Amino acid sequence: MPGRNAALYLSLGVVLVYCAVALFAPVIAPFDPFVISGPPLAPPDAAHLLGTNDLAQDIFSRLIWGTRATLILGFLGAVVSVVMGTTVGIVAGYYGGRIDEAVMRFLDVMMTIPFFPLLLVLTIFLRPGIYVTAVIMGLLGGLGSVRIIRSQVLSLAVADFVVGTKALGARDGYIMARHILPNVLPLVGVKFVTSAQHFMLVGIGLGFLGMGDPNVVDWGQMIERASKNGGIVLGLWWWLIPPGLAVTGISLALAWFAYACEERINPRFQVMRV
Amino acid sequence: MGDALLCVRGLKVGFPTVDGVVKASNAVDLTIQAGETLALLGETGSGKTVLGMAILRLLQPNTRIEGEILYRGRDLLSLPQEEMQKIRGREIAVVLQNSGTSLNPVLRVGDQIAEAITLHRGLKGAEAEAAAVELLERVRIADPARMAREYPHRFSGGMRERALIALALACSPSFLIADEPTRGLDAVTKHEILALFSEINRGRSVLFITHDIEAAATLATRVAVMYAGEIVEIGPVDAVLSSPAHPYTRGLLESLPARGMRPIPGSAPSLIAPPSGCRFFPRCSCSVGRCETEHPGLVPVGPGHCARCMLYD
Repeated sequence: MPGRNAALYLSLGVVLVYCAVALFAPVIAPFDPFVISGPPLAPPDAAHLLGTNDLAQDIFSRLIWGTRATLILGFLGAVVSVVMGTTVGIVAGYYGGRIDEAVMRFLDVMMTIPFFPLLLVLTIFLRPGIYVTAVIMGLLGGLGSVRIIRSQVLSLAVADFVVGTKALGARDGYIMARHILPNVLPLVGVKFVTSAQHFMLVGIGLGFLGMGDPNVVDWGQMIERASKNGGIVLGLWWWLIPPGLAVTGISLALAWFAYACEERINPRFQVMRV
Repeated sequence: MGDALLCVRGLKVGFPTVDGVVKASNAVDLTIQAGETLALLGETGSGKTVLGMAILRLLQPNTRIEGEILYRGRDLLSLPQEEMQKIRGREIAVVLQNSGTSLNPVLRVGDQIAEAITLHRGLKGAEAEAAAVELLERVRIADPARMAREYPHRFSGGMRERALIALALACSPSFLIADEPTRGLDAVTKHEILALFSEINRGRSVLFITHDIEAAATLATRVAVMYAGEIVEIGPVDAVLSSPAHPYTRGLLESLPARGMRPIPGSAPSLIAPPSGCRFFPRCSCSVGRCETEHPGLVPVGPGHCARCMLYD
């Protein structure tokens, strides 16, 4: 069906545009996002496409630079989460027994602790930069992936072709890397995209609560400034709405992309095509 | 016939379950000479596959195994894991039971065969690939170069069986365990596979696990009949199939369509609590009083021909 493919490519296209913006931020942004670039609280004009904020910083430039921080939070978090989830999930599911038991009981304990409050507490104590924040998010958020991957690997570990590969004299590490991993890779891919979306929103949330890295601009911190320093009260739409729209755009695109991928990969979602 | 290549002594295999230990193999003694093909006959659940997997030490880790499995004089059961990995595939290879699921669905068939070559023969990349194509050709897969690049789902049942045989032959093992390689194949394909086996069996010891008496008769030099985890009769193929000594073997032969199609009454016993004396006595038509209490041993009934039955004790 062309509609489904269109959703896949359109959402991928949007994600790629965001990535390009993040990558070429220094070229695209007309101003340094931290310097005073004109009068404060100025409405949009030719020089300041989206006006300025209360510190007279160019909002358009901040939005462009913010893409970078927000995407780093989302994608780095997703990489950490997926790598950790896949590795631990495969090892636990493949070996089973005591290793599996230890991992699963640890997860049971960790999963009773709510993710976002725990992240907040850790951020307050550690005051990390965006990279460390992304890693912490990835590690905490990857716990769920461990479960999902492990449950897949449990059945793969006793599959005939795995026994067959053992019968050829292959080592465990080799079997996990070459036979188990490719079988869970589609799942890992979808998990990566959904995690990226999730961590981006969490990163925005942290920024909005004032836990963002003060050395970088991210959309969460932009929304925070706008809402706390009078953007809403004064009705200065160019201050509050652009970062909100930017978040919505990438978040929707990633969610769409993940669903489209999942639909292709998971045969249960496959619509009969005659 | 040459020397003993593999010697199984007093092999006991038990699987602990919530209901008790399933005794899948009870004091099995078996010797396979260099170059001979031994057919292991028996119905489903008689412990044939367990015996094959025990030789390669591929049973679940919680399995209880006792006894000795001597391969070229070394006890496989006490070898360290790394030594065992060197033996698997290179010395002893297996053609697994379910050809449909024994190939990794996400890897190309040629790559899977090449991987066996890389593991033991040290060939890499294009060399290993060429060797894989050669193997596919040897098991008579048409257009082997193209099929090597295909995924398993493009292979038919017979072709998968051939691919598995190619996989097992990759490192020219001296001992091959073939676990029901003719299962689920149509008559024509079955005969092709049997013909292929009679070719590759030359100069190689083979443990041919099957419930197909015809296949055993075609390929084997000796036959061992298994019932409820025990070998009940073993001997040269002609002797066992033309003058079976054990009532179970006789029953098996009589259940063949060509010989009257009379099934053995009853069903195979539970392996958690098998019958006390002879394991076959509840179904046996010629049981005597002591069959119920005394466990018979394997006694010679002819040259190289033994049976586990009170009739000869």
